[in-house]
Amino acid sequence: MVGIFQILGGKTFSYEEFWALKGISFSISQGESLGVIGENGSGKSTLLKLIANIFRADKGSIKTSGKIAPILELGVGFHPDLTVEENSLVYGSILGLRNREVKERMDSILKFSGLERFRDAKLKNLSSGMQIRLGFSVAIETDPDIFLIDEAIAVGDMEFQQKCISKFKDFKAQDKSIVLVSHDMDLVKQFCEKTLFLSKGEAVDFGETDRVIKKYTSRVKVQ
Amino acid sequence: MCDLLKYSQLVRNLTVKEFKLRYRNSILGFFWSLLNPLAMMIILTLVFSTLIKFGSENYPIFLLPALLAWRFFSISTSMSLFSIIGNSPLVTKVYFPRWLLVFSSCLANLVGSSLEFAVSFPILVFLGMKLTYLILLLPIILSIEFLLIVGMSLSLAALNVFYRDIHQIWDLVLQAGFFLTPIIYGISLIPDRYLFLYSLNPMTRIIESIRSILYYSSLPTYEDFILPLLGGLLMLLVGYLIFRRLEPRFAEEI
Repeated sequence: MVGIFQILGGKTFSYEEFWALKGISFSISQGESLGVIGENGSGKSTLLKLIANIFRADKGSIKTSGKIAPILELGVGFHPDLTVEENSLVYGSILGLRNREVKERMDSILKFSGLERFRDAKLKNLSSGMQIRLGFSVAIETDPDIFLIDEAIAVGDMEFQQKCISKFKDFKAQDKSIVLVSHDMDLVKQFCEKTLFLSKGEAVDFGETDRVIKKYTSRVKVQ
Repeated sequence: MCDLLKYSQLVRNLTVKEFKLRYRNSILGFFWSLLNPLAMMIILTLVFSTLIKFGSENYPIFLLPALLAWRFFSISTSMSLFSIIGNSPLVTKVYFPRWLLVFSSCLANLVGSSLEFAVSFPILVFLGMKLTYLILLLPIILSIEFLLIVGMSLSLAALNVFYRDIHQIWDLVLQAGFFLTPIIYGISLIPDRYLFLYSLNPMTRIIESIRSILYYSSLPTYEDFILPLLGGLLMLLVGYLIFRRLEPRFAEEI
């Protein structure tokens, strides 16, 4: 139930002799949220995957505590020929829910994503935006302790974005942690107490969000 | 194994999903999978009982259960081989113990094969097969075969991530295996000096066990029972070791 994670020592990860991340070390307590910022290719998504146990570090260790829901790409395990309900059951069970629990939350999942009419529709008949909303809605209902969010996937209309933002506020009130990879500095400031600034796989700065963001923006301006 | 308990819902969902997807968009659906062995049985019976006069008495009962048992093995391993690379988003975007993918693929095939056996029973009885209490041993033998299949599939699926031509090699192995296993013919046809080699093939003894029960209506021999069990457990161990060794790099390779 605790949402603490720490990355000890140096953590590195390689693919064909390329160190995607090197010498990263930080820790966050339960209820604290972390923003991860940096230019494209700096290793942000890789970091999320390491925390989610999808990739394994070649050196160093990662300690996490609590249930982790990675939202790196939505609708993972979604299959076009299965219905909305069937896909929700599969996705929900991937994220740790039992079918019974998903069915209980089905109504609120459909409501949150605006797909009430489409419970038995095949996924391939929905637009990609609808599919993304479904994925997000199911993930949000799984009640994890730590959310890993790669903001690249946060699309959806204004109304949906507002819903998500208010859900995140609820999470923080419940002492859950969010790790948010984002290019939107306002979003990071809004939710994250601490921020990690990555560049070319190395940590340029880690600490209080305002300070780190200032460092990032000043760097960008110089270029 | 505690993974299995913790993720039991996921395994069930994945298995059901595999099963649904296989037959959802087809008309005949499940009955397609029955057509193939029945057709094979008819053709082979025609050739070996009528034309060539080489098969045993009541050849269909001799042949069909062996065919079904072989199909369980060959189709299971061939399909489960792809269960990791075929589910790449599940490996690269989220985490759960990856062996569950292989396991649920094998499980879906277990269900399918069991149904094939079940549906062919009336046909076999009609053709003269004797139903004895020995039939109760069949699920046990199929479970042993399942161990073998899971072990084999774990190795194959893991290797397939790194060497994409494993499935072609396995195809050849299965093709050879079909003829090197006493499916179409009985083990009595094999000269003594080759019997040892034949015993090394776990499927030989599994099929002999099934034949004992369904064709000869006698209890399988001790060796026909224990050796495949040991072989299955060994294969499971090997599969587990290989899989565990290769699994950390799955997400990078896919």
